[in-house]
This record gives sequence, structure tokens and C-alpha cells, in this order.
Amino acid sequence: MAAIEDLIGELSKLPGIGRKTATRLTYFLLKQPPEAGRRLARALDAVATRVGPCSVCGNLGETDPCVICEDTRRDRSTVCVVEEASDIGAIERTGEYRGVYHVLGGHLSPLDGIGPDDLRLDGLRARLSNGSSVREVIVATNPSMEGEVTATYVRGIVEAQSVRVTRIALGLPVGGDLEYADNVTIARALAARREME
Amino acid sequence: MPPVHTRALILHAFPYGETSKIVRLLTREHGSQSAIAKGAQRPKSPFGARLQVLSEGTAHVYIKPHRDLHTLADFDVTRQHEELTRDLRRFAAATALAELLIRLCPAEPHPEIYDLTVSSLAQLETVPGEALDLASLSVLWAAVEALGFAPQRDACARDGRALPAGATVFSVADGGFLCSRCARGTRSARLGADDRRVLERLIAGEVSDIALLDAKHAAAHRRLLVRFVERHLAEDRELKALAMWRELA
Repeated sequence: MAAIEDLIGELSKLPGIGRKTATRLTYFLLKQPPEAGRRLARALDAVATRVGPCSVCGNLGETDPCVICEDTRRDRSTVCVVEEASDIGAIERTGEYRGVYHVLGGHLSPLDGIGPDDLRLDGLRARLSNGSSVREVIVATNPSMEGEVTATYVRGIVEAQSVRVTRIALGLPVGGDLEYADNVTIARALAARREME
Repeated sequence: MPPVHTRALILHAFPYGETSKIVRLLTREHGSQSAIAKGAQRPKSPFGARLQVLSEGTAHVYIKPHRDLHTLADFDVTRQHEELTRDLRRFAAATALAELLIRLCPAEPHPEIYDLTVSSLAQLETVPGEALDLASLSVLWAAVEALGFAPQRDACARDGRALPAGATVFSVADGGFLCSRCARGTRSARLGADDRRVLERLIAGEVSDIALLDAKHAAAHRRLLVRFVERHLAEDRELKALAMWRELA
């Protein structure tokens, strides 16, 4: 039973998975053909051994630099700053952005002890330093208090290098219903209103 | 049991599982309380963007007697203190204040602490940048005093003798100023008459007649406050937000 207990123990360390769910997952896997379990093990091993952070932007990938940084068709004059590598996928799915990225690795949060030294800000400074081709930095941190204070801090770094800095717009979701939006979101949308084109 | 409706400030909000959040609230009528906001992380949650740290509003909470974790039914935001995010130093000071309250404010009615906290956040939002150090020290010392942990400053903290005017010693370990006899041989902070007056004013929250602090004195005052809080209020445990506020120039 040690192997079963080991797997339950490892699965229950994952976010959102308690011991009960881990037990259910373990017994589900045990009911599958042995090859299914081996495939999962190989996939986990591949992620652990082959995936790492890009030394340029911090994105996660199997190559260094990552596929986005290596893509010569990308616009290197525009850098989009995001909190986590997973945010890159969300922006890429829009198909609207052709620039490159910079992953901070989190946001400033004094209550959690996360300060400027804990984020990949030196890497950003280096990318914007003398001789850089970057003309615009888009700050796409989350629209939370911590995300906003992080955006302010990044803005200071970017402006010190005389590079244009912009912030993604905040407001109502497309296809949403005004009646059901919360008052904070509506207030932000009103504050960020623009001329109709 | 119907929910209670109380003015409240969100001191901290963090994910709980995949879909919910736990919020630490400072309420006006029920003191410090923790509540779970079920489903608050879901994309279509009715909580939407309301559960941000330092948001002020009306909390609708199902309070269960003798429990530590209650259920947040809704939160109507009246103010988000967004200006605090325009400057990391302001945000760090505000979250250091929140951290003090999370650790030390009891789950009992303390409307005066709630009112003080709300006005302190407003002050941190609007104070000019050059006066931010003074304002931060003032609101944090005011919170320490309101929570009942103010340093002894009217008499010697060790033997209770009256303190003469002028230069003196502030002992973090003893929890206040020392008379010259008790101060002999101690390695506590020696304060000139002017520095003592500034510290007394900061603790009393009377800063209108104090000149702005230069960087060196501001840093010394920040270190002193943090050492005092860690020693007497946090049982020598590090307070993360307070430590960050101390380090930010």
C-alpha cells in the first residue's frame, strides 16, 4: 500500500486537491490500463526535466530563449509585462498581440512579504537599458490593489528609461450585462470612458 | 439566522481552494472577523471586484457564535482607497497598518479603532509625498496606542519615577522612556531633547507642529517603531508588511 499512499500524498499537495480528492484520483488511475498511468508519469517527468523559465522573459518553455523570444516575426519594440507565465497564454489566445513579454513572477504584496526584490524587475531594467529597441511597455498586471501598485512600480522603472508605458484598459466584460456588473467595475469603466470612434 | 450588516474594511483577502476567498475584516460593530466568501474566485461571482484589500464598505456577514470563520454574504464597496496604489510607500504603510490590526485587534466592538483606521487610510492617501514619513509613523503609533500597547512616556518605564525634561533613553525592552538612573549601563536608544519631543508627539498623534523628518531620522524612527512592535505586540515574530515599510525609503 506504500505506493498508493505515496501517490495520494503527492496528489494532495496540489492546489485545490484535498486528501479525499487525491484518494479518488488515485483509485481512478488504478482502474485505468497500466499504460495510462505510465503516460501520466512520462508527462510529469517531461515537464519536470524539460520545462524551465526563459532567461530573457521568464516565460515557461522547453527552449531557452522561449519560442516567443526566438520568433523573429514578433515585434521586439513592444513588451507586455505580466504577473505570471500563465497570463501569456490568455493574451496569446486573443491573437491580437504580436509583441514580446516580460514575466514578473508575481505582484507586490507587503502582507505576503513580496517586495520589489522578489520580482524579475532587474531583468526588465536590463531589457530597457541603453541601446534597447523597446519603444513601448504595456503593463498587464491584474486589476487588483496589488496588481495596481505593481503597475505603478513598473511604470517608474520604464519611465526612468524614457520608454512609453501604457496600462491595459479596465472595465466591463464584452457580452456582459451592465445590470449584473459590480459597482467597482462599473465605476472603473466610467472612469476609463473614451470618445466614440 | 439573518446576516448582520456592518461597516467594514477588508484588511486582507486571499484565495481559499479553487473558488473561494477568505477575507479578514475590521468591522465597526464586531471588531476583527474572518469570513469565507464562497465562490468569490469564480469568473461570474456576484462579489466581482469588490473583495480587494483595503476596500471600505458594508459587509453582510452570517456570524456564527463561538466560531472563528464566518460567512460573507455580500460586500457593498463605498471606497477603495485606490490612491494608495499610486505609490508603493503609501501602500506599504497602509498594509502595515492592516497587518497590525489583523494580529492585534480583538473580535469585539471597537468603533473608535475602526474610525481611526479609516481616517488613517484617508490621510495616507492624501498626504503630500514629502510628509508621508511623518504621516506613516503617526498613523502606526496611533494604532499601537489605540490597541492598548502605547509606550510608557509619562514616567520611567522601569521604576515609575517622574522623567525630567530634556534628553533621555528609549528602551524597547522596557517599553518606554527610562530615567537617568535606570538608563545607566543600558544600550538603548539615546534621544536628544528634540528627538524625544518628536517621538512623544508621534506617539500622541500630534504631528502638526513637527518639522518634516530628514531621511536619516525617518529611517531611525521606522526602525524604532518596528522593534517596539515586534518586541511587545508580535512576540518577536516578523511582521512582513511592517518590515517592508521599514525598508522602503
